[in-house]
Order: sequence, then C-alpha cells, then structure tokens
Amino acid sequence: MMLANIFTKSVRDRWRGTTIAFISLMLMLLFAMSIYRNFDINIYQEMPEVLKRIMGIPAGADVGSLAVSVFLSGAGAWVLAGLTIASGSASIPSEESQGTIGLLLGNPKSRTNVLVSKAAAMVLLMLLMIVASWGCTYLIAKILGVNLGGLSVGALSIHLLVIALFHGFLAMAIGAWTGNRGAAAGVTTGVMFISIFAVGLLPLIEGWENVAKVFPWYYLNGSEPLFNGVNWGHIGILSASIFLFAVISLVGLNRRDLKSQNVGLTLIDRLRNYPMTQKIITRLAGSTRVSRIWIKTFSEHQTLLSITGYVMFLTGILIGVLYQFMPVDTMMQLVENFPEAKTIFAAIGGGDFSTPEGFFQLEIFGLMAPAALMVVGIAIGGRALSGEESRNTMGLLLANPVPRYKVIIEKSLAMIICAVITGIATFAGVVAGALLGGLDMNIANVAATCLLVTLIGTVFGSLALALDAAVGNGRVAVFGSIGIALVSYIASSFLPLSENLAGFARWSPYYYFLGGDPLVMGLNWGHAAILIGLTLGLIAISVVLFKQRDLRYTS
Amino acid sequence: MNNHSAIYTEGLTKHYGDVRAVVDLNLDIQAGEIFGFLGPNGAGKTTTIRTLLDEIRPTAGKAWILGMDSHKKAVEIRKHIGYLPGDLAMYPDLTGKDTLTYFANLRGGVDWSYVDSLAERLNADLDKKVGNLSSGNRQKVGLIQAFMNRPEIFIFDEPSSGLDPLVQREFQNMMREVTGNGCSVFLSSHTLSEVQHVADRVGIIRSGKLVAIESVAELRSKAIRRIELDFDTMVEATVFEAIPGVRDVVIENHRVVLSYDGKMEDMLRVVMDKYELINIRTQEADLEEIFITYYREEAATA
Repeated sequence: MMLANIFTKSVRDRWRGTTIAFISLMLMLLFAMSIYRNFDINIYQEMPEVLKRIMGIPAGADVGSLAVSVFLSGAGAWVLAGLTIASGSASIPSEESQGTIGLLLGNPKSRTNVLVSKAAAMVLLMLLMIVASWGCTYLIAKILGVNLGGLSVGALSIHLLVIALFHGFLAMAIGAWTGNRGAAAGVTTGVMFISIFAVGLLPLIEGWENVAKVFPWYYLNGSEPLFNGVNWGHIGILSASIFLFAVISLVGLNRRDLKSQNVGLTLIDRLRNYPMTQKIITRLAGSTRVSRIWIKTFSEHQTLLSITGYVMFLTGILIGVLYQFMPVDTMMQLVENFPEAKTIFAAIGGGDFSTPEGFFQLEIFGLMAPAALMVVGIAIGGRALSGEESRNTMGLLLANPVPRYKVIIEKSLAMIICAVITGIATFAGVVAGALLGGLDMNIANVAATCLLVTLIGTVFGSLALALDAAVGNGRVAVFGSIGIALVSYIASSFLPLSENLAGFARWSPYYYFLGGDPLVMGLNWGHAAILIGLTLGLIAISVVLFKQRDLRYTS
Repeated sequence: MNNHSAIYTEGLTKHYGDVRAVVDLNLDIQAGEIFGFLGPNGAGKTTTIRTLLDEIRPTAGKAWILGMDSHKKAVEIRKHIGYLPGDLAMYPDLTGKDTLTYFANLRGGVDWSYVDSLAERLNADLDKKVGNLSSGNRQKVGLIQAFMNRPEIFIFDEPSSGLDPLVQREFQNMMREVTGNGCSVFLSSHTLSEVQHVADRVGIIRSGKLVAIESVAELRSKAIRRIELDFDTMVEATVFEAIPGVRDVVIENHRVVLSYDGKMEDMLRVVMDKYELINIRTQEADLEEIFITYYREEAATA
C-alpha cells in the first residue's frame, strides 16, 4: 500500500522523522505549560514593551499564550522548517546519490511526475503535523487546565505551515537545479538562520525596523497571528514565493543532466590533479588523511566543522558589535525594579542583557553555542559506528588487526577534537566581538564558558556514541541523544523556576555548563570535572557495549 | 581441534532470533588448500564468514583460525588474514590508492612494490575515487587490499562479481600461486563455475546446514555424463533402463543415447554381455548439474 506509487513511498520514507518531531514538540509544549503554570506570570505584564518583544513575549501574555508562542512559533517553527528542508533538499538529490533515479525513471514516469509526487508528500506530511499540533495544543491546555481563550492557534498554525513550506520548496528548488543535497540543505538553513536573526534583532535598532520585512521569517510572526488571526497578505507573499520555487524546481530538474552515483570533484581533487600543487595536496589530502582512523574520521566531518565553526565565529563578532545598539539603560532599570526578571531570563535561555555577559549568554551561550556543539558531537558520535556499518565498511575495517576498543577511542578522539575546534571558534568570535564592540569582558571567563560548552558537546557526542555502540542504529543514536539533550535542556532551564523542583536541575548536564554562571564567575573546576567524567564514562561504556554486540550488516 | 588446520569449526551455529542462519557447521580446511564454499543465496555463507571474522558471535560452537580462537584472538588472527567481503563497499571519497594506504596504515605498513605489481596484474586504476569506479574496478581495489599484506589465509566472499574473464583468470592464477606457497583460500560463492577450476574441495551449504564436502575430483566422478553407444544390431531400451544410474534412454536404430551417473565399468559390463559395442562417445561431466541437484534435493527436504 505504502509502495503504491512515488507519492506514498515518499510519505513512507519521511513519516517516522515527522512523527518523532511532532512528539518531541508536543512534549516540550506540555512541559512548558506545566512549568509556566507554577510560577507568577504577572511579572511579564509589567515589563517594558521592548523587552517583551526581544523575549518573544506577546502583549497580555498568560500561561497559554506564553507557552504557545515560545514553543510553537519559536522552537516549533524551527523544527517544522528543519523537517521540510530535510525533505525538500533530499527530494531529487538523494535519489541521484543513491543511484536510484535511473531505476525510478526507467518506469513510465516523467521527471515532473517524480518531483510533484515528492512535493505532494512533503506538503501532506506537513499538513498532518500542523493539524495534529493544533489539536494537541488544545488537548494539552485542557488537560492542564490552561485557558487558551482568545488565542488563534489555528491562525498561527497556518502561518507555521506556510513558513515551513517556504523553506522546503526553496531547498527543493536548489536541489532540483544542482542535484546537490548538501548545498540545498546548507543554503536554505543559512537563509533560515540569517532570517531568524535579522527578524529578531533588526527591530531593536532604531530606523531599521522595516528592513526586517525583507526576510521571510518576518511573515511568520510579524503580524502576531496568535492574537490577530491570519494575515492573508503575509500568507499571500509566502505562498507566491512557494509557487515560484515550485516552478523553478520543475524547470531546473527538466533541463539538466541527471547525476549518477558518482562522487563529485572537490577543490582539493582539482588541486591534487594540478602539477604545481599535486605533491603537497596529495600528502595532506591523501596519505595524511588516511594515516589514522581518527584523522580520517576528522576529515570526513570537515564540512560540518567548517560551517559550525564559521557560524559561531561570525555570530560572536556580530553579537559583540550589536551590543552597542541595545537599550541597555532600560534593561538595567528593569533589573533594578524586578529582581525576578533575572530568573525569567534564565528560563528563556540566557542572562539579562544589562551587561555584555548577559547579552552574550542570551544570544550565544544560552542556546546557540550548546546547540552547535551538540550538533557536532551528536553528528559524529551518533554515526561513528553505524555510519561504517550501514555502508558495510566496518567489516573491512575490522578485518585489519584493529581491536574494537581502538575504533571507539579513535572515533571519540575525532569527535572531541571537532568539538574543541568549534569551542575555539566560538571563543575567538566572542573575543573578537568584544574587542570590536569595545566591551569590557573577562577573557578568562569567556574561555571558561567556551570550555564548558565544548564539554557539553563531548558529553552528548559520547552519549550518541554509547547509544550507537549499543544498537548500531544511527537514527536511534542521533534522535535518542537529541531527545535526551532537549529534555535536559528544558529541565535545567525551567526546573529552577520551581522551588520544589530546583534540586533536580542538577541531574541535567546543562546545569554544569551555565549553572555556575561562568561568564561572570569564571571556571567552576568541579563542574568541568563532572562533564569530563561524564564524557569519559560514556566512552568507556561505549567500548564495553560495542565489544559485546554483533556488527550490523546491510545486504 | 586441529592445530595444523588453517580454518577449523566445531558445531558452529548462528541464530538470528528464530532464523537459523548457520547450523552445526563443521569445517576443517588445511594449509595450502583452496576450499570452495558453495550455496544458494541466503544459505548462510556470509554469516559463516562473518562469524569466522568475529564480526558476529556464534550462538553455539566455536571456530579456530591458524589454531587461534576466532573470538579471543580476533585481532591477532586478522594479522594473518586477507578478506574481501561480498557486496564490497569502500569509502567513495577516497581514491584506490588512499584506500589501500589507509588499510596499510592500520596494518603497520605493506610492501608497496608488491601492491604496484598486484595493481599491474589486475590492471587496476588506483588514482580514481572509489565512488567513481565501476563495480569490477572497485572489486580489483578490494582484491589488492586482500592480497597486499601477504596473508596466510584468504577469505573471499563472491570475489569474481563484476570482474571480466581476463581478470578472473588472473585472479585464479594469483590464488593458485599463494596456495602453492602454503597459504589457504576460503572461497565462498553461489556459482560453481567461480570455484570449480581452482578449488581442491568444495563444501555445499543449504539453509545453514553443510550438506556435502567433497573433492572436486570426487564430484566430477559422480557427475552425470551424456553417453552415446553404437551397436551392430537393434537394441532394447529396457536393457539399459535396468542398469542403476542410467536415465533418459533414447534409442535410434543401432544407437543409444543416455545419461549415466556411476562407474563406467559397471554399465559397460552389463551392456557388453548382451550386445557387441562398436563405438562409444561421452561428453564432459557436468558439475553444474550435480551441484544444482544438491541444491534441489536439499530444497525438497527442507
């Protein structure tokens, strides 16, 4: 049934990821609503408007609107756009890289037919997810006794659907033209992040408010659909773009040569073929790259590493420079008047930004840096073993006199080195930003914070490795560790808000990252030791687990 | 167990849940021997190899390679093994040379002049990325990596897939050379033609069970022959049909055409008692036929 045609098979290929994302999102919403219910929400009403805007707090916020805004139009929109980007970028390029496009088109189906089927599958899954989230939001509110009266969750859902599809179709268009999945996903994710950043920060700078309208993300929440209903003008702008991308996709796919399974030529390959550079590049890219398991693993992740390192470095600079535009006086006043505000800032993911440290914590260390480090750690750790197993290269690797523990240790080493480099890039960016912005920040404390966030990456990377060592399934390892990471992130952010539950925050690794306020207080050696211990412990567990199990074999 | 055996298994068994992939497998492969391991798809050949290499652990039974326990001494054993997996997969972004360098590094170095000579013999292109090679050319890189450390035991899983006949012949020569030097080859395949020209013995596995181990010469002697006999007079089919091992008898005047599996002497004695034989022609024994019979018989009893 699910293999009846290209459309149903595409749905079948994608429904698991969509379901997992939906469940995670709803759990986050449930968690947020139940936590928000337990503390005094009135503080929000008394905050200055500018602050509410920065924190994404709608005017007249109550428990329901706060949770729905933060978790649906915030994290939810990211998740939905991420899903459509994955789906849109994979549509044609993944069939090409797997070598199945020829087989598919060997049937009486046109390229247009294939692309339309894949696009339809993406739209259907997104539609189902949006409708389910819409219903579940009311269900969760009812169970917890939270009032959602007056909120247009449906309107927000329509905006969410359209912004997600905007990114999905953009990725599809790039993939259809280039046949390069990485380029499609990378460029679209880049557009999304720049857009989120711009829409978040530009309105804070006087005279720049309207520039935000250039960015697609503006049309998600610019009209506050949760309170004001659907803004059909905004939906129209995004829908027209989606239509345009769809047309561009069809034109692009129908006019180019399809790729075979071949591996493309990179810049390094070209330099390797060029007589002047042949010797040195062959040494670096050839013999050095394959001299050790860890070096080879490291080189396989250089693209991921360069993107995350570059983004973190640039963000660090950007934040430092932007700080001078922030309404610091208002903030300082607020913190003086409402000491509780600090606690709430912590819950939103950072410190108060009456100080540069607080601003950096809010914009970088609260969410972005740990997310980047976790992406690096989990992407490497979670596929360290299953990646080789699913490609059937593990058998060949272990046919050499290499004990299994050595494979684990070398793969862990590559993961740790990648995390350290990302940590260093973050450090360099923040320091450069502080210098350029003329901010008085303690460099040693920045270093301490970067060390701790690096260790967060290695902890979750080793967790992913341990899961991979246990089951040999990359999907379980990656999604499992992301799930645990999300729960521990939320736990460490929200549990301290409740007096009774504050103690439990110590069970979350995040507590040992920002719990000691390292940007202000410097390195807490005990916390660093705990994170190092966790990393080493998980690697040791991975060794034991991998030693015991059968290798997986894909036939 | 036998310390002199290259590969020795005792009651080797591997279950995946309810699926009995390999059942009570007993093998004894000697130094200097090419052992053909034959069976249809899904018979348990690859599972056996993966158990020998400690990629997976047996549910019961044990295996020894060069007298060493296949699990406890797995790393030591691999120093002496050259392995080519079935469905060979390598790192698509690496060139053939990079791939070999990687595995050579993991082994602590190899003799590169030997690698070059192997590449030349197999006509392999080591400068292209593995992902851009045809399956046959990729297989050549796989073969070189199996030979390059001069192992004592070779384990090949469907090694000829994708290779052209010239390279197949060169590969067979290479196998004969290494066994001539005392090495052993465990050659797994689902087609007899891949092993019959080189193997000393073959083991036939079906549904995880070893159904026969025979030398190729023995197999050949058992194989069904097509025989034409000319007599000086008309003959009766019933005389021939009564001989054990005779089937498909066709009479054309003074000529009989029949299929026979058994000793030629036994048949001729009966025939020559009755008639005067003028001429006899036989066709080469068809091993493939007996091989398929093994599969079918087991399939019928399975």
